[in-house]
Amino acid sequence: MSATLRDMSTEGSLLRRIPAILVTLGLVVIAVVFFFPMVWMVLSSFKSNAEIFSSPFALPTGIDFSRWVEAWDVGHIGQYALNSVIVTGSSVFAILLLGVGAAFAFSRYRFPGRSLLMGLLALGLLLPLQSYFIAQATMFTDLAITDTRWALIVPYTAMGLPLAVYLLKVYLDALPDELFEAARIDGAGDLRMFWSLVVPLLRPGLATVAIFSALSCWNEFLLALLYIQDDALKTIPTGLLAFSSRYVTDYGLLFSALSIITLPMIVIYIVFNKQIVEGITAGSLK
Amino acid sequence: MKSKWALAPYLFLAPALLVFGFAVLLPVAMTVGYSFTEWNGYGEMIFVGFENYITAIGDTVFRDSFVHVLIYIVVTLVLEVAVGLVLAGLVSGVKRGSLWFRVAIFTPVMLPMVVVAVLWAFVYNADFGLLNAALEAFGLAELQRVWLGDTSTALLAISVVSGWVYAGFYMTIFYAAFSQIPTDVVEAARLDGAGEARIFRSVKVPMIRSAVIVAVLLCVTGGFQSFDLFYVMTNGGPYGATEIPTTYLVRTVFSFGNVGYGSAMAVLLTGVIVAIGLVFVRLNGRNGKRDRA
Repeated sequence: MSATLRDMSTEGSLLRRIPAILVTLGLVVIAVVFFFPMVWMVLSSFKSNAEIFSSPFALPTGIDFSRWVEAWDVGHIGQYALNSVIVTGSSVFAILLLGVGAAFAFSRYRFPGRSLLMGLLALGLLLPLQSYFIAQATMFTDLAITDTRWALIVPYTAMGLPLAVYLLKVYLDALPDELFEAARIDGAGDLRMFWSLVVPLLRPGLATVAIFSALSCWNEFLLALLYIQDDALKTIPTGLLAFSSRYVTDYGLLFSALSIITLPMIVIYIVFNKQIVEGITAGSLK
Repeated sequence: MKSKWALAPYLFLAPALLVFGFAVLLPVAMTVGYSFTEWNGYGEMIFVGFENYITAIGDTVFRDSFVHVLIYIVVTLVLEVAVGLVLAGLVSGVKRGSLWFRVAIFTPVMLPMVVVAVLWAFVYNADFGLLNAALEAFGLAELQRVWLGDTSTALLAISVVSGWVYAGFYMTIFYAAFSQIPTDVVEAARLDGAGEARIFRSVKVPMIRSAVIVAVLLCVTGGFQSFDLFYVMTNGGPYGATEIPTTYLVRTVFSFGNVGYGSAMAVLLTGVIVAIGLVFVRLNGRNGKRDRA
């Protein structure tokens, strides 16, 4: 019934189609406007300062990647990217490992203190960064871990855990009890059950959690700004800021750096858009 | 499930709780403690009771920072949530090519805010910026401004950047929600003679009410926590026109070394954010969510 109705509406009169065409045109215009700053950024990366000033909309005279290479090497963008990969990779790995452990305990065991501990962790869903970063900074200074990667990996892990545990627990709660009973009857111990049952079954949930955790670690700025002064350890956000004050008037080089950082993210989105959209919506709606 | 060993659940929990307790809960408690002291971060710590709180409430810079962030939140509710809702409505009506549109609109969400901020500082640049050049090209040269250097436009300029980033984010959330609506409900309204705009307003949007509430919550609580765009683009300037609570308290603590006073402001800001979060949780019967960069 609904299928035939849909056919009628799509193949209906021309009059009915005009709004649809207008909508499509409007969307194309909006997409172009949205995308234009990024197109301008890439085009400008191939221009000299003089060209950037005199003809902002003109195409560059040639496509020359030498400034990109310069930004990557001389400007340390490569080093910042590597630091971001290390910090994000370690944090996401820790979030997943510790998160599954906690979610498993909350989902499959009943033990004294369970609701109290769950409540404590749920506080992390409500408390903003502003509620703890001042004291965290003084603590990290006292412990002399500022200007080490730990100063980022530890807080990123802690900040990512509450939502990760919450979502993974939802996935785990949906698994049938019989699975675990059967494993128990077969003689599996707690640890064995964790590694050979929980972790493999949770793979789709882990992927979702990994995606939004990775995005927030990759983009985090405030803590990175406060804890890392050593240029060799800076991640992309703080590194780019340092870069932009080092080369404050070398616009071609700045646009090159921005392009190097932006283009891989566009490619990643095009390739993984389904998983990313799923990760982002799960991360915000649940 | 029964454990073979009573300690097992605690051992599975311990690493997560230790890290969370160490890096979040303990510093929250310490921040509250600091807020009752006068302390520069290393010297002697003097207990001053509620003095910092009284100072904060009378501090015009702090009060203005809330006014600025409230303006920013109202503008971004329109530019992010409302625009995202309309875009999602338009996109969900398109049969082909919607993926490419979603790619174009969503990409900014993936970028670090600092990257966005540096890029848009160039878009707004008075000498060669895209915006002034575009105005000139369309014969509107008299509208040209030093966008980030003008007290009357700076806050709005930053809000627009935020809209550029997050309109796609909210569009994605609403698009997912729209695609859950059963088609026969929409078809029934169409058969009753309702136009597309009417269906959008009276059928589709009410049916995704809870997604809209979550989006408003994220936009409001996320707005209060803003920092990156403001810090990089204006750092509170020009003449304090874009000073928001977090830029002010970061300067108070980390430039002026006023840990006690900064902590008191942080506690007040936290109170506002948590209170709003709890109201929404009550309203929606759902769980709130943490920050979004």
